Order: sequence, then C-alpha cells, then structure tokens
Amino acid sequence: MAEFRVGRGHDGPARVGEYILGPTTYITPLLASSFTSSDTIIAYGALDRDSPLSDKPMLVALPFAGHIDDIPFSKIRESDAVILPSLISFASLSSDASNLVLKYQHEVLSKTTPDLDASRTVIRIPSDADSVLLSKLTEVGPLGAMFSFNGHLGPQDFGAIKTRSRLPLHMMTLAAGRIEPGLIPLLYYTGFDVIDVGYAEESATASERLWKNGSEKIELGKDRRYCSCPACAKLDTAGTKDLQGILLEHNLSIYRSVLSESQEAMKTGRLRWLVESSTHNSPAQASLVRSVNNELYSYIEEFSPTTGPKALPVIGSESYHAPVVQRFRDFVANRYTPPANKSIVVLLPCSAKKPYSDSKSHRRFASTIQSAMFGLESRVAEVILTSPLGLVPRELERIYPAGQYDIPVTGDWDAEEIEIGASALATHLRKFSSSAVVIAHVSGGYLDIVRAVESRIEQSLIYTTPEGRATSRPSLEALKETLEDIKSILNLSGGPRTELEEIVSATADYQFGTGAGNVLVPANAKLKGKPYRMILCSVDGEQVCSFVAESGSLSLTLAGGRLLAPLKRYWVRLEAPKVKGGSVFAVGVQEADFAIRPGDEVFVINRADDVIAVGRSDMSGREMCELTRGRAVSVRHKKE
Amino acid sequence: MERNIAEINEVVQNATIHARGNSLKHRKKRDPTRPAARWITEARVGRERGTALAVVLSTIGCAHARSDSGGCTMCSYLLDGVEESPTPEQILSQFRLAMAELESKSAPLSIKIYTSGSFLDPDEIPPIARSEILRIIAEDKRIREVVLESRPEYINDQVLSGVRSILGDRIIEIGMGLESSSDTVRSVCINKNFDLNAFKIALKTAKNHNIGIRAYVLLKPPLLSERDALLDATKTIQEAKALGVTTVSLNPVNVQKDTLVEKLWSKGRYRPPWLWSVLEVLRNAGSGTDRWMKIVCDPVAGGKQRGAHNCGKCDTGIVEAIRQFSISQDSTVLQNHTCECISQWKHVLKHEDFALVVHR
Ligand code: SF4
Ligand SMILES: [Zn+2]
Ligand SMILES: [Zn+2]
Repeated sequence: MAEFRVGRGHDGPARVGEYILGPTTYITPLLASSFTSSDTIIAYGALDRDSPLSDKPMLVALPFAGHIDDIPFSKIRESDAVILPSLISFASLSSDASNLVLKYQHEVLSKTTPDLDASRTVIRIPSDADSVLLSKLTEVGPLGAMFSFNGHLGPQDFGAIKTRSRLPLHMMTLAAGRIEPGLIPLLYYTGFDVIDVGYAEESATASERLWKNGSEKIELGKDRRYCSCPACAKLDTAGTKDLQGILLEHNLSIYRSVLSESQEAMKTGRLRWLVESSTHNSPAQASLVRSVNNELYSYIEEFSPTTGPKALPVIGSESYHAPVVQRFRDFVANRYTPPANKSIVVLLPCSAKKPYSDSKSHRRFASTIQSAMFGLESRVAEVILTSPLGLVPRELERIYPAGQYDIPVTGDWDAEEIEIGASALATHLRKFSSSAVVIAHVSGGYLDIVRAVESRIEQSLIYTTPEGRATSRPSLEALKETLEDIKSILNLSGGPRTELEEIVSATADYQFGTGAGNVLVPANAKLKGKPYRMILCSVDGEQVCSFVAESGSLSLTLAGGRLLAPLKRYWVRLEAPKVKGGSVFAVGVQEADFAIRPGDEVFVINRADDVIAVGRSDMSGREMCELTRGRAVSVRHKKE
Repeated sequence: MERNIAEINEVVQNATIHARGNSLKHRKKRDPTRPAARWITEARVGRERGTALAVVLSTIGCAHARSDSGGCTMCSYLLDGVEESPTPEQILSQFRLAMAELESKSAPLSIKIYTSGSFLDPDEIPPIARSEILRIIAEDKRIREVVLESRPEYINDQVLSGVRSILGDRIIEIGMGLESSSDTVRSVCINKNFDLNAFKIALKTAKNHNIGIRAYVLLKPPLLSERDALLDATKTIQEAKALGVTTVSLNPVNVQKDTLVEKLWSKGRYRPPWLWSVLEVLRNAGSGTDRWMKIVCDPVAGGKQRGAHNCGKCDTGIVEAIRQFSISQDSTVLQNHTCECISQWKHVLKHEDFALVVHR
C-alpha cells in the first residue's frame, strides 16, 4: 500500500503533501536521485539493474518487456513504488504511439494487480496524452504520475505541464529528466510534487557547476565564481579525481536551496513572484512561463488563494495576468455595482502605501472632496486607477490584493498596462448614469489611461490637474472648484452618509457575486463600526456579517449564511447533518461549489439544505470533492 | 500485451516507411555492371592472418525493405541498390571487377559478398548468377573462406546443398541479421520481420550442410535506453553462442540516411551508442570460456556523431582497440581504457532507464 496525502496550503497548484511508502513518510515537495538518498531525497533506480542505495523505500523503474513474465516482479521490495515501463522516444512517433504508451501500461497494470497494489504504481505519461485514455488509466488506481522533461523548455516540456494540469488532484506527480535548478519554482508552482535531480550528476560529470540560473565550466587551477558552500571550499586543494564529487555535492546543494526557497515562498504566498522572477533565467524559460500563464490560466487560478501576504510584489509584465490580479479585475468588472445615487465619479491616482486611504496623497484628496461637497460626499464615487489591477473602487481598497499589492510607482506604464487600465475604466464607467460627471484628477500614465477611453465613454469628462501633479496645490484647488461647480450646476441634494453600507455591500458583491450586497445589506440593515477597523452589519436585530479591515473582507455569521443560501454560491454540502469540531474535512464533503478558492468565505449546508456552519475554505471546491483527506473549511460558527 | 506489442510494431513500421519518404526516387543512378563498393582488408581467415575482399553487389535491394513492411528502422542499404534488377551477366561483371582486386594477393583469402539484401534471394541474385559467382570462387584455390548474407527465409536445403557442392570444403558462413535474440526488440525496435524461430531453423539447416552462421548483433536500436541496449546485445551474444553461431558481428548502430533512426536522431531523440557500451559488450562476450566462436566489430562512423562515439578525446584509441580485437580476438586490448567521460556514460546508464529521456 502506498498513500499520498495532500496537506494544507496553496500558492497556485503548489502544495505540500506526504508520500507514504510502507513505514516511511516522505514529505513533498521532494527531490529524487539515483546517487544519494535521505529524508528529503527519495532514491530511484531500475529494477534488477541498480542496487538500492538504502533500506528505505525507493522508486523502482521497470524495464520495457514484451511479456509480463519477463518482468522480474519477485525482485521488487515490499514498500518500493513501481514505475511502469515504456519505450524511450516512442511517444513522439505519432499520436497513436502516445496512446499506446498508456494502453500498454494499462495492460501491465491489469496483469500485475492484485499481486502488486495499484496504489504503489507510478504511470509514465507522455506530454500529449489523450485525456480519455489517461483518465481510464488513472481510474485503475495508480497514485503516482510521471512526466519526462527534455530540458529544452519547448513544446514537449510545456505539454508535460499541460497534461499534468488534467490529472486527478490526489495523484503524486513526478517530474523527471533534464531539469535545471532554475526550473524548480515553475514545476513546483504548476503542481509537481517530486523533482528529479539527475541533471546535478550529469553536469558534475561534465565538470559543470550549476547555479540557480545557468552553469559554469570548472577547470582546476582556473578562475571561478565564489561559492560559500562547504563542497566548494575543497576546490582549492582538490585533485582531478575529486572534482566530480565536489561538483556533485555543490550542484545538489543548489537544487536543495532552490527547492527550499520555493517551499518558503509557497508558505508565504510569494511563489508566484518567485516564478515570475525566474522568467529572466533564459528566453526559453520566459516563453515557457508565458505559455503556462496564457494556456493554463484557469488551472493556476483554481488553486490561487483569495487571501495572501501583507505585501504582494507585482513587478514585471508577467504579473499583468497573474491569477490574483486577473481575478481582481474580473470581479470588479463583473461583480461590482456602484450605488445608484452617484452623480460624480472622481478618478484618482494610486499610492504606494496601502490601503490608499492611509496615504498622504489620499488624505489630501479626501479632505478636498469633503470640504467641497460638505455633506454631499455620498454623491461622489471614488475610483483609483492603478496598474496592473486596472482600477479599484474606494469601497474595495482593502480587499486582497488591492490592499496588499506592491508595484514600482514611477507612473510610466507600458502600452499593455495602459490598455488594461483603459478597458477596465471603460467597463466601469458604463455602470454609472450617463448624466454623471467624471472628474479625472490624475496625471502622467494615469492620464494616458483616461485619454484612451475618452471616446468610449458617455459621461462628460473634466480634467483637474492643470500642471501635472495630482497632489499639487493648484490641482487640489481645481478639484475643489470643479466639485463645487458641479454640485451647484446639478443642484445636488444630500442624504445620510452611506460609507459603511457601501463598503459592506460592495465587499459582499465582490466576495459572493452580484446580488449578495442587497441580501446582506438590505435597506433596513443596521451598521456600526469604522472602515479602518471593523464594521458590524445586523438585519432584524441579528448580526449577519462583519467587515474586517485588515483583510478587507467579510466574515459571515450563521444568520448571514442563511441569507446567502438562496443565491447558491460558495456552499459546501456535507454528508453529515451537523458539523463536529472546528473543521470540515474533505472526506466528509459531499459536494461543493467549484467556484470556491482557498481562502474564500463559505457556508456549509447539509443534505436538507440547512445552513449548519460558516467559515473559511482551506482548499478549492474541486479539491473538497476529489480529495479524501485534509481540512476543507476552518469553521467560525456552527449550528449546535 | 501481445496485442499491444503488435500495435506498437505497427506504429514503428509506419514511422519507418514515413521516414524513408520518397528517398528511393532520389537514388543515385548506378552502372549495373559495377559493384556498389569493394574493399580489401587484413583479416583473420580461419586461424591465420590473411586478406579479405568485401564486395557489395548492386541489386534491386532487400525485399523486406522494398515491401510494405518498410524495412528495418536503422537500415538505408536500399539506397545503395539500383532501380531495375541487373541481368545475370551484369551481376557477374560486377563480381569479376571486384575479384580483380585480389590478383596480387596470396593465400589465405576470404571473400565476403554483400548485396544490400539477401544473396540467396532469387529475386535479387538470379540462381544462374549465384552459381556462376560461386563457380568463379571455386576455381580460385587461394580462397579459403566465403561469407554470404541472407535473411533466413531464403535459406533452405536445396539452395544450401547447391552452395556447398560448388564451394567444396571451403569454410562457408552465412551472415544473418539476428540483431537481437528478443523477439520484442527485433520487432518493436528494429522492424526486422522475422522471429527467433526462423533464425534457429535457418541455422540448423546451414549446420546440416556444414555451413556456419555469422550472426549480426545490433547494438542500440532506437527506442531503447543505453543500458537496455547494452544488456540486450550482451544477452543476444550469449544466446547466439548457445545456439552455435560461428561468428558474431557486433554492429553499433550508425545513423543512416532517411531512416527512422535518423529522424529521431535529428530531433535529439536518439543517440548512437557510447563506445564504452561497445567495449562493455565485447568484454562481456569474450568472458565466456568457449573460444571457438569469433567476435568481430567494426564500428561504422566510430568516433563520429553519426556513429558510436564518446567524448571525442578518447574515441580514436577505443575504435582502434576494437578493430585490433576483431582481428586478433585478444580481449586484453579491450581492457584498461579510461577517460573522464566514463562517468558521464555511467550516469547515462542509470538516468535514461529512469527518466526515459535521451541523453547527449
Ligand atoms: S537490415 Fe537487412 S533485412 Fe533489414 S532492411 Fe536492411 S538489408 Fe533488409
Ligand atoms: Zn559550491
Ligand atoms: Zn572520453
């Protein structure tokens, strides 16, 4: 018996897990090699050809055979995982060939079970495997899936990642072949659990020392880069015969350090950033990352949490379509509805400090607007233009990632950023009345965005930054006068301050989809609190949700869950009638909304559709359904 | 599983046909009265040193390669052939031209007749031409040894008794492309289109006429890892020995034009064997006690990218040692070679089996 347990946490499809072979538990992500083994490196070898490095269970590759009797099964040790056979380069011959690779393994698998437990087997999957055959094969029960990388980072390697994205979630996946250290962050990010470090040895035998990005030929007695690793300290006194051993030790340490960096980045929600940084390793790697971004977006997005680190670096063009960024733009475009009474829309520049309201510039904008409108602030909608999020309605400025993203704020934006901003703005302004007035209180790159949409909007547009800077005294004066003019021309009348309602309602729409705001914040809702701390929302004397400033998001109460239930979004259905304990585990989940992402606020129902708990999801909806282990929801409130 | 193997074979066959494409249309025009090639080498003839003449007759080429089965994955011998079958007279004139090379040589001589196919296939070499060639040989007393080539399907009692009666008591060997003793490897990786049983029957028939068999053993057909290939060739030689072949000719694959091997090779999906593997197979083969079976190896394009090669620094010495061994049968010349690249080869042996990615 073998087991693979997916653990808690995600940054994209990256995950932690436990690969359990007999008495040994390997923690994933894990390295694999034929020359050394330890707790963090699983050994591999070919059956009957390589003798095991230790007593610990290993990955044993079966040689190709024409008859089942030609495979010396009796030589397989009790707890080893078994990699099914295939022929090198065969799958590349045609699509028929690639299908046959799967069919052949299916046949081997059916002949070996039940003598060999299917869970212990690892199937070899060609880059262009057919989905139907693949799922037939995975249904037989192999727990491992293996992909071969030729290291060119071309179609075959991308194909491997793409095919990996179609695998059932409970399978341990192994990346083998020519894998340079710089590829590890991407492989981990795209869901590989075990990574072959064979290339560390190949390079060492060719006298090459590997680095995080690139390699270096070493000749004893010649100049070389400085390295702080203990192996390289021996290089000064080394003889020719020691060289390969030293280089191997060094190379291996590079793999370990890159993997460790990736693991840490995953835990802190910065793996995406690490992957984006790795695009600079080589043009080939940049194209590979781009292909992953473009073609595997929905796979990556499905496992990208909706909460994240306090500061999320969003630096290069690779970030423009990062899942959290793209998702934010999608949600603002598709879920956000401005309150009906907005007659003036003020466009403002972003600030380096988050949330914007805490920045000096935005405090100035706020006091200018306040003194100009004086009691009629509720008629003004504030929209902050920024890249690459496009735009942020003031009410949503604290939500992830708007409250956390970190960009270089020089204001020079490239053509793509301007187009992203322009299309977001055009979409956004369509949601306001055509009689509203839009004030563009922006300059520089922000101004380019507004100019780009001038012809696409119906409202009248006024620029209030006569000589450039939005925060300069003349600009702020211009803003104040413009607001006052409009106030009198439109003959605006006031109403009670609605800031708290607007924040809670907009956040509800953002988190739970259009309509949720009206449900959680009906006309008779009572709100109290502060936007920068906490807002409590009650309906009919019962609290339904609270807005937590730190995360910019809503936490539901059971009553809130009951109100939302008819919308049929963000629900998790249990087999059991009630929740026991503080968590819902995947094993107990009957079905769940596939729109759920890790970190989402969700409500839990039973078979009778009673709302029995509310809490935060720890995995995506599909994982809750497919995985048989692990925490699905951290429960906040439950029905006793 | 048998069905899977058959299907895999079919894919390989189609890919082989596809790789050949219409290369046959671009065959060079050849003079049907001249052999495709001929050369003289120093060689072991029986137990003595002597001279060998090898001649490649221009024929229409191997029937297997001409057929719908597409020929073997590594072989482009068909390209050496001619479009229209030469007449018996033309074939004879080819042979006489080659024989002229031997004029000044003294005994013992050996003659090897190649045809880019099967000498005993009546469609390639009409029986009249065959008998006439053998008669020419029979008249030359210096010639002690004759080597012919044929696929097993053309070997039968009638043909062999004819050959034997003309050549008298000369040593006769028929070269057969056994390639691998594994039917799976021979069909899936090579597309050879005959099975071990056919080889065994042919071998037995030959023995009845006191004719020896020279088994061609292929080192590293496509779709095998370096170690698969090494082990397969080693095992094949052992089994060939057990079956009673008289000579093993180990042929490390070289990348020939318009073959499946070339197609894979050009995309980095095939690498000819390492010379270390060649050495290893020869050493393993020599380690048996049975000394009467000869083992020869001439790595075509040895040391070059298209042939068996190592790092480039150590290749020449190793190729030379292999040639020496083939003549002397003295396996000590195979010992004590070393080079930095040996550890690279050892890495490849392990890593390819696991990762199934072709290494450089
Ligand atoms: S290797 Fe021999 S049997 Fe195969 S195609 Fe070439 S000549 Fe014909
Ligand atoms: Zn070092
Ligand atoms: Zn060498």
